[in-house]
Formats: sequence, C-alpha cells, structure tokens
Amino acid sequence: MGPLDDQVVRADSLTATPDGLDIAVYSHWYRALPLPSLVRADLTVDGEQIDTSTLSVTVNGHRYAFAELAGKGDEYWFTTDPVVLHVPVGTAPGREHRVQLLLGLSIPYILTGPDRVPLVAPSRTDKTLTATGG
Amino acid sequence: MTDTAPGLPRLGTTLFSLSLEQRKPGRDFASLVAEVAARDLGPGLEMVAFQNLRGWPLLSDEQVREVRSVIDESGLTPSCLAINNDLGLYPDRLLSDDESYEYVAVQVRGAAALGFPVTRVGVETTPVILERLLPLADQLQVKVGVEIHAPLTIEAPPVAALKELFTRLDTPWLGFIPDMSSSMRAIPGAVDDAHRAAGIAPELTALAKGLWAEPGPTMAKFPELERRAAEAGATPAQVGNLQMLFTMHGRMAPERWADFFPHVVHVHGKFYGIEDGPDGLTDPSIDWPAVARVLVDQHYTGFISSEYEAHAYSDRYSAFDQVRAQHDMLRTLLEQQPAVAR
Repeated sequence: MGPLDDQVVRADSLTATPDGLDIAVYSHWYRALPLPSLVRADLTVDGEQIDTSTLSVTVNGHRYAFAELAGKGDEYWFTTDPVVLHVPVGTAPGREHRVQLLLGLSIPYILTGPDRVPLVAPSRTDKTLTATGG
Repeated sequence: MTDTAPGLPRLGTTLFSLSLEQRKPGRDFASLVAEVAARDLGPGLEMVAFQNLRGWPLLSDEQVREVRSVIDESGLTPSCLAINNDLGLYPDRLLSDDESYEYVAVQVRGAAALGFPVTRVGVETTPVILERLLPLADQLQVKVGVEIHAPLTIEAPPVAALKELFTRLDTPWLGFIPDMSSSMRAIPGAVDDAHRAAGIAPELTALAKGLWAEPGPTMAKFPELERRAAEAGATPAQVGNLQMLFTMHGRMAPERWADFFPHVVHVHGKFYGIEDGPDGLTDPSIDWPAVARVLVDQHYTGFISSEYEAHAYSDRYSAFDQVRAQHDMLRTLLEQQPAVAR
C-alpha cells in the first residue's frame, strides 16, 4: 500500500520474445532484498493463472528457475533494478495483455509473532499493457 | 553547510527521505547526495546501505573510493550508516547467532571503510550479538546503535534488556537510536491518501485514528480494531492495513526519550509532514518542541537525521521541501531552548 505499488509493473514492462512474455517487475520495498525474499509471484495473464514452477526469473544478469531463488541468499535484488519474469504464454509485439500480479516480498529483518516469522509485504497489480518487441 | 550553534544537536538528512526521488529517471546516488548538499540539508548525511549502495555488503575497493569521493565532494559529514541484520534471510529458518554476528560485522567493517562513525541496526540484533560486536566496534571506532522505532517504547521488554546491557557495559560504542515514530501525537494526514488509493473507506480510517488516540497501550487495542473494522465492512486485507497504523505509529510520551540517555548515539528525526500554521512551522503528528527540550536538556550534540517517511503513503509532497521545512523548524526550536547547566 503506497506510491511504489503503481511502479511494480510499468507501462513499458512487457516484452514479447520467441519464448513467451517477459515482464519487468520492480520492487515495492525501499531497499535491496536478498533473492530468497521473492517468495510469492502469483501471476495471471489474460485470465490464465501461471504455475509458478514454470516461471524463470532474470536478476543481475543471471536466469534462475523461480524455486532456485530460495537458495540464493548471497545475491541481492537492488532497489532500482527490475527482475524479469519469463512467462511461457503466447504473445507478439503489439499484443495487449491483462497482467494481474500478487508480489509477496519476505522482509528479512522484520520478524512477526511469537515464532518470529518474516513479514511478507504484498503488492497487487492489475494492468492491461501492450508488449513491445524483444 | 549551515550548522546549529555549538553545544546543540546538529541537523542532517537521511537519503531514506528521498526513497521516491531515487526511483525517478536519471537519478543516481551521486545526484541525490549532491542535491542534499546544494539545498543545505546537512551537515549530517545518513543512508540505508542496502538502499543506496549497489553491491552492499561487499563493495569493491573502487566502489568504496567512489562513494567516499561523492560524499567528500558534497561537503556533507557522514553521520550514520543504516545496516540490516537480515535474520530471516532464508524464509524457512532464522540465521544462527554466528551467522548473524558475521552478517552484521561485515557491514560494520564496510561502514568504517566508508568513513561512517555510527551504524544503525534494528532490535532484532540481540544483546548477545551486540556484546560480541563490541570489540570490533571499539577497534574500528564505529558505534553500533539500536534503533527504537514504533511499536517499541521504553516499556517494551527488548528495550529494557538493551538498557541493562548498555548500563552494564558502560561503553560509548553501543547505544540507542531514538526514532520519533515511537512518540507520535497523531496518525499522519498522509495516511488518508494511501487509504483512499487502496479503496479503504474514510470511516474505517477514522475508526483506526480514533482508537489509536484513546489512552492505553496500543498493542491492547488490536482486537477491538479488528472487531469494529470487520463490523463496518472491512476486508481482512483492509484490517491488516488499519492494524499497520498501530504498528508504525507509537504513542510514547516524547519526554520519555530522556530515559534512553546517556546511551543515545544518534537520533532519527522521523516525520510525516510539516505544515505552515498560524504560529509558524508545525508538525501535527510529532511534538517537536517536547523532543527538542529533551535533547537539549540531555546535552545531546550528535546528529538528528531528518527522516521523511510520508512517501510510504503519498507522493503529493516534495521530500526535499519537507526536509527543508523540518530543518527550519528544528533550528528555531533548538536555538530557542533555554541554556542548560553543562
């Protein structure tokens, strides 16, 4: 909840590639977070729910399967950099897509409750945008 | 850089105030620092290492030289580097004490390399870890301060444990960093913008504000807020947003900051909006005259870092203008305080 929510997926975030749709995603948290903090990316494209296990993510120039991020505690997602979600759906330059994303970031220094569980900060996006060419 | 009169707290800015500014096209670290200096918002300069320093916590020698050079050229004085103890680095377990110590120690060394005299950690850094950090802090001559942020107050058990530790160790290298979020007199008006954008009915915002302002410990009001908000039609997510107000804004009396002395190593001038009222600049949500009185009474001569945080709720105001207004207000308040016996 706040002004950064609107910047998570931006007007120029969608790119059509031969493998599918790339979505550039920006953080709604104010500081760089370790990659395991990216705990939730519930994505729906044009009404179709995307199974997270089919997503791969490019961050700092490296491409990982979504599940691999959980082990990358020595790498950080910097404040102003996007991560790119590679989504296996059909697209083409100029095509419009409705993107609904629930991004959940685990905040590693804010521990909540008696079990000291990291806070998960959610950000919701629902935008219809046009993909550009890769 | 304009400074306050000798013997008074000094002013400064944390780049955290500029969190939205940082995201604007063409902005980089050097331009943020340069603009803080050009607008005379020093002399103190604080930043969150993980927010502003790409590659943190492992900067190359060349990156260290670059950061130092940007700060040197600005004429600002490094006041505090906010570092983090990411105990929940891996969501399925917490770091062990050994891992936590190493995680923080690397950053204290980094702060020393960059020329910062103070580091800020959160209350998740336990007395055990702080005591282990003491020899390193002493060796590097870098203080480690624990930020006291809402919902913490002087009565919170972790705060009492820290006070006992600092009293027992009697060292200048460990201490508190008071953050004014713990001692507010009203929920900030900027919250209305955020709630409107999130579709939260004004009646629900008013309900939370009203309950918050009632006497009694804030944490004890959570169940009543949840019950009454649900009755008024709030969704579970909206109840969470309303409860967040109780977590982010504390109601400790500002006079209680005196109880944290003499173990205060830095101060966060957290604020959410300065207004031009009939009697001059004023802050509806924080009682700065009371805070200034405590700091001067306690002979505090360290930095107050202006920390504008309404950017979390609204992008309607210029953070630079807000920090300017807070500096003007604070300078007047500090210099108006009657002299105290030294």
